[in-house]
Amino acid sequence: MSDEHTHEPAPADDGSGHGSDHGFDNGHGDGRLYGVLAEYDTPGELLAAARKVRDAGYTEFDCYSPFPVHGIDEAMGIRRTILPVLIFIGGLTGTAGGLLLQWWCNAYNWPWNISGKPTWSIPANVPIAFELTILAAVFTSFFGMWILNKLPQVWHPFFRNERFNHVTDDAFLLGIEARDRRFDTVATPKLLADAGAIRVESVHLDPDPAHRQMPNWITAFIVASTAFALIPFAIAAKARTSRSTEPHLHIFPDMDFQPKYKSDQPMELFADGRENRGELAGTIARGSLNADDLFYRGLEQTDAGAQWTTGFPKQLEISEHLMKRGRNRFEIYCTPCHGYDGRGTGAVPQRVAQTGGVWLARNLVDSSNPVAMTMPNGQLFNTISNGYNTMMGYAAQIPHADRWAIVLYVRALQRSQNAALDDIPPDHRSGMQMPETP
Amino acid sequence: MSVLSKSLHPEEKYKAGSLGRDLSRIGFVIAAVFLGISIVLGATHGDNYKRLLYAYVVGWSYIFSICVGVFWLVLLHHLVRGRWATAVRRIAEAMSMAFPVVFLAGLGFIIPLLAGYKDLYYWAHPDAHNAELNQTLLHKLGWLSPWSFAVRYVVYGVLYTAMATYFMKKSRQQDDSGDPKLSEQLRVASGPAMVVYSLITCFAAFDILMSMAPKWYSTIYGVSFWGSACVGGFAALALVVLGIQRTGRLTHSINPEHYHDIGKWMFAFTFFWAYTAFSQFMLQWYGNMPEETVWYKYRLFGEWQWVSIAILVGFWAFPFVFLMSRWTKRIVPSLVFFAVWQLVFHWLDLYWNVMPSYDWTPTFHDGVKIVAGPLTGAIALHHVGFSPLDITVWIGLVGVLLIGIGRNLHGNLIPVKDPTLGLSLAHENL
Repeated sequence: MSDEHTHEPAPADDGSGHGSDHGFDNGHGDGRLYGVLAEYDTPGELLAAARKVRDAGYTEFDCYSPFPVHGIDEAMGIRRTILPVLIFIGGLTGTAGGLLLQWWCNAYNWPWNISGKPTWSIPANVPIAFELTILAAVFTSFFGMWILNKLPQVWHPFFRNERFNHVTDDAFLLGIEARDRRFDTVATPKLLADAGAIRVESVHLDPDPAHRQMPNWITAFIVASTAFALIPFAIAAKARTSRSTEPHLHIFPDMDFQPKYKSDQPMELFADGRENRGELAGTIARGSLNADDLFYRGLEQTDAGAQWTTGFPKQLEISEHLMKRGRNRFEIYCTPCHGYDGRGTGAVPQRVAQTGGVWLARNLVDSSNPVAMTMPNGQLFNTISNGYNTMMGYAAQIPHADRWAIVLYVRALQRSQNAALDDIPPDHRSGMQMPETP
Repeated sequence: MSVLSKSLHPEEKYKAGSLGRDLSRIGFVIAAVFLGISIVLGATHGDNYKRLLYAYVVGWSYIFSICVGVFWLVLLHHLVRGRWATAVRRIAEAMSMAFPVVFLAGLGFIIPLLAGYKDLYYWAHPDAHNAELNQTLLHKLGWLSPWSFAVRYVVYGVLYTAMATYFMKKSRQQDDSGDPKLSEQLRVASGPAMVVYSLITCFAAFDILMSMAPKWYSTIYGVSFWGSACVGGFAALALVVLGIQRTGRLTHSINPEHYHDIGKWMFAFTFFWAYTAFSQFMLQWYGNMPEETVWYKYRLFGEWQWVSIAILVGFWAFPFVFLMSRWTKRIVPSLVFFAVWQLVFHWLDLYWNVMPSYDWTPTFHDGVKIVAGPLTGAIALHHVGFSPLDITVWIGLVGVLLIGIGRNLHGNLIPVKDPTLGLSLAHENL
């Protein structure tokens, strides 16, 4: 390649062997003239040249550069792309689709009552609608760009030019196609050269029509890979419409069938089919001896045998702190049925009443039917541990010391709910008044 | 012949001349007149200056947030080696150099606080220490006490001022020497500065605005405030740049390409603010825990719901849809319309953040009347209670901001020897 400007007068459509200085002489020679390609040194010169070519009235030309050149659209006289409008429409479609999806799933097709929350509520739907807006807008933007730019373009006549290889690296090229009505084999290259081109070359089509299109192997690859990608969908479609007695296909059988315990499944390792090994007869696990009858069971040894204790185990220090702990545990575990005041009208009985039924929990502080009032401490403890009538035991949820704390609090509750004015120290009486109902 | 870079137009008027002095004088007159009116109105409001101080916090947050927003552009421009903004960067630097004046103006509510004024922030009220009423507040009262609050205020002010001064000083040094190493120094400094800036902006928002409702908390609050601040900052930048061009200065250097980019940022932060504000709302709304939803309870029901709707539509939906287009940002009158619009709604956003805490509910405890604080009691008792004070204080403090900006509009209005100036002057949007 010479450094001087090569104005070669391009031949007419005679297919003669002109222009052999293009880099890609593949032995086929040259066919019809496709266009001229000019190279410029800087993006700025490319911009200026594009403006001149546009002003000269050319329309079938394009600029090629390694990176987007600001202002090239205006210089080439390209109308602004319609892509933003398409993206906006895509985004709106995403918003609408997201809202419709959630309405259809949650409010129409399968409404499901979750804690009485509404099945259709705009704030809850915003994140999904937002994400789908973004997704649809980005897809429109990405694929719209490809489609509007007619990409992917795997073959172009300019590929035959050696300098075009540099267009992704350091070449700023401007190509005018011969089909432009203003194209002239002499004037057009001169225009490009006058605009400051460092090189102007003619580009000819390959005379062999087979080389003027996408290579067949690429076409074959695209068709084959597309067909291959459809196979899973075909299998799924077949499975949805047919019956089979064959077992499932296991691609990774050692992952599908692992020798481990799964919940609600028998275990083959042990003869009894259980995975958990129970206690062996005659043994006690470490820390589970629980030999202290008073602390662990509320029983006291007397001359008449074991009896419910009326006191508290010596491990516990009866204090304000223990009382507060008891109140805290009581309000977590007991109030749903027994209520905050212990009168047996907690949230569960209220809910039963709302649905038309009648069920009350035990009134723990009732002095007229004093079942719970007269129970010894040990029996109250035992009731919490093991249950009473329909009440289930809470041994699994509440540690022993906390059960005793609850017993202490229940005793205080019984005392306070049956208190008379005389029970209150005189200096506190004046401040007593009904609490304000919120 | 490359058009990727341009040199400064030979007839460009880029010297500030008397511009800054004039602006400061205008600002001073506005501040003096409107703050004077405000004090009279505040004294006659009959609530021990409470409304005045509330309006003052709103107005102060407004001018503070504009500095925060504009200073962010300065930091970001260096951090990412920006190009387009070099032509407007000196103006942004001058605007962010209003920090010292703004922080001096903030003493207007810091000093009463230190002097024992108890009706502005509930945590400064003696009843905040009532353990029965404010169990969840007690552990915060170490952080939220007038003196520690004031110390942090001073720390924020010093840090903002120091950073803004550094970036301004080095930039002006480059005007004389043209040394490209100064750009490098600023770039290195912008990273740590951005970290410090982010932290103090978040904490300032927690302290000054979020503690208006001291029991409530939201970790994203500072980010949301910053988003709103940047909307205001870029809107104010557009107006100041236009104002300077109207005086015949910089008419060749700054063109619709720069306005377009300022508009893009305004648009971006309009959405960013909405994103963070909704993130804050939705998690608390969905979680439905009383200690969190209380903040929204008094904003989404009663009189305040109309303000909330106005913000949703005015601060987000309308500008978002219209700023999306290219032309609304490139046609300068259109951009100015949205800049003014967003500056008004940015104020309304701050108003909406502060004022629902204005009504404090009294309650009886052990037979004694005590103050239960903001965001308590029946919703119907909480009024928007709009007062002319809110506007006069706002305008007065904008006057203070103009003083702060005017002080620094001297010398070159454009970084004449910045190595990237040529690129900025030739800037074109794709």
